[in-house]
Amino acid sequence: MTFRLAVTGGKGGTGKTVVAVNLAAALSARGFKVLLADGDVDGPCTSILINAKLTESKPVKIFKPLIDRDLCKPCGSCAKVCREHALAFMEGAPPILFEELCSGCKACQIVCSYGAIKEDSKTIGFLHSAQAGPIRLKIGELNPGEARSPIVARELKLEVDEELKRGDYDVMIIDTSPGLHNAVVQALWGVDLALVVTEPTPLGLNDLFLILDLLSQLGIEAWVVLNRADIPGGIREKILEACRLRGIEVAVEVPYDEELFKAYVRGEPLIKSSIHTPARQALMDLASKVEARIKPSS
Amino acid sequence: MASGKGGTGKTTVASSLAYLLHQRLKLVAVDADVDAPDLILALGGGEKLEERKIEASEKARVNDNLCNGCGACESTCVYGAIRVEDGIAKVYDFLCEGCGACSLVCPNGAIRIEPYVTGVLVAQRTRHRFVTITGRLRAGEHNSGKLVSAAKEMARERAKVEGAELLIVDAAPGIGCPVIASLSGASYVIAVAEPTPTSKRNLERLVAVARHFNVPVGLVLNKAELSSDYARKLEEWALFNLKVPILVELPVDYEAVRALANMKTPPELNPKARISVALRSLADRVEEIVGL
Repeated sequence: MTFRLAVTGGKGGTGKTVVAVNLAAALSARGFKVLLADGDVDGPCTSILINAKLTESKPVKIFKPLIDRDLCKPCGSCAKVCREHALAFMEGAPPILFEELCSGCKACQIVCSYGAIKEDSKTIGFLHSAQAGPIRLKIGELNPGEARSPIVARELKLEVDEELKRGDYDVMIIDTSPGLHNAVVQALWGVDLALVVTEPTPLGLNDLFLILDLLSQLGIEAWVVLNRADIPGGIREKILEACRLRGIEVAVEVPYDEELFKAYVRGEPLIKSSIHTPARQALMDLASKVEARIKPSS
Repeated sequence: MASGKGGTGKTTVASSLAYLLHQRLKLVAVDADVDAPDLILALGGGEKLEERKIEASEKARVNDNLCNGCGACESTCVYGAIRVEDGIAKVYDFLCEGCGACSLVCPNGAIRIEPYVTGVLVAQRTRHRFVTITGRLRAGEHNSGKLVSAAKEMARERAKVEGAELLIVDAAPGIGCPVIASLSGASYVIAVAEPTPTSKRNLERLVAVARHFNVPVGLVLNKAELSSDYARKLEEWALFNLKVPILVELPVDYEAVRALANMKTPPELNPKARISVALRSLADRVEEIVGL
């Protein structure tokens, strides 16, 4: 069985992707076969930070109704069932489609008694495959101007499931979007453990509570990663105390580190750098903890 | 205020602009990051004026007595949100979009689509006396765009009452549904970015969305001195390739962290701090741009 791990955080910019790519690189270096998935479909960035090469891209398509004007009676029942108001109906003429509003649910096709709604499709994003050394990547990407991130996230999860069936992976790491919306839930669905990356500010703390509530509703075990733990003026102690009161494990504190930032701009996991810094050590410690969680016996 | 990437400093910029500009004109602030609403924290909290529940979505509901577990619903649902378990259809609310396709195919009429509370809107008066509207999404919900639109609508109502002429909207990270709702109808978008390749890529995606909706964009480059070389490259690229002007560079200044920890904006906590000086020059630029 592949161990499934999510990296999430509630708040944006706390360091989710940095944690995800470094963990992937560290576990891969220790001999684990790693599948890294990028579920931040609004802004997928893992490939930049792990210097991956794209190998394949395929479109994410959703159903789009194609109205056959000859078969259409026009009765208006399709427009009536469309909860997104994507079909406009005026007496005596076939409905007009507002493509941007259509979610591809097929309700219109189901309800049409005349078979006048044929199947067409619309591309709302892409699923990319990529490779970074031995690490396989699967990336979901929403097209700018499209609104339906959850559908792309769901297609990514289905693709990841297929890949897990094909390959003999030890661990799947999925990087989620910030937030708590259902594209995040799609990414979190079915994982064994979630790492929640936060920062020592009142904003980090507020959003940490929100995402911990969501994870507990989903029944997913959570570990906290406190990033930039030592930034001047931060509220490290408050975060640690809050986690203690909730009985949530703080897996690691990552100190602020110039080298981590430089590696980020270079597009390479800090783990791979030969410079030993406190942040690199913290990320190594995190990898060890995750390793122990994946293989409790070793 | 928007940014494709999270954590670039949208809320710091939005709260500071609200704090600085309210001294010159009347405004209402809106926290449209309904997943992780923090604007009111950065402004030091407020006194609650009003709260509204918003039913921005609907969910499938199964009548167990009528369901015979045939599975027609499961094979129709494109979201994987309804599954037959132990002979009865079960709806996973986190995945259900409320489209109603399942209820249309159910041969037993066992499924109804019902309204669902997706979030709340709260109006608060900050200690600076201007009003802030905060949207809060119920965890795991979709249609956050509708919640954002409702928040903006509530802000417009407040603006009328208060005689305000400016809405400052702090958007969610990303480019999806809630961001589109934040941008729609805006006169101007301030994109907040950092000098990193990930931020660059997400800026490009955000600008594409703003163009799609015909909203002009200006750039605030935060923490520019973290990587001055990359900052210069990014600014040139933004100016020449994206045709996006640079409004201001913000320095790396831990007074910004101290301000957050004290739930004050940097210009309020320490007007002389480098970050506060830069934010005041941004406020001047914004005042010119919006023409108020």
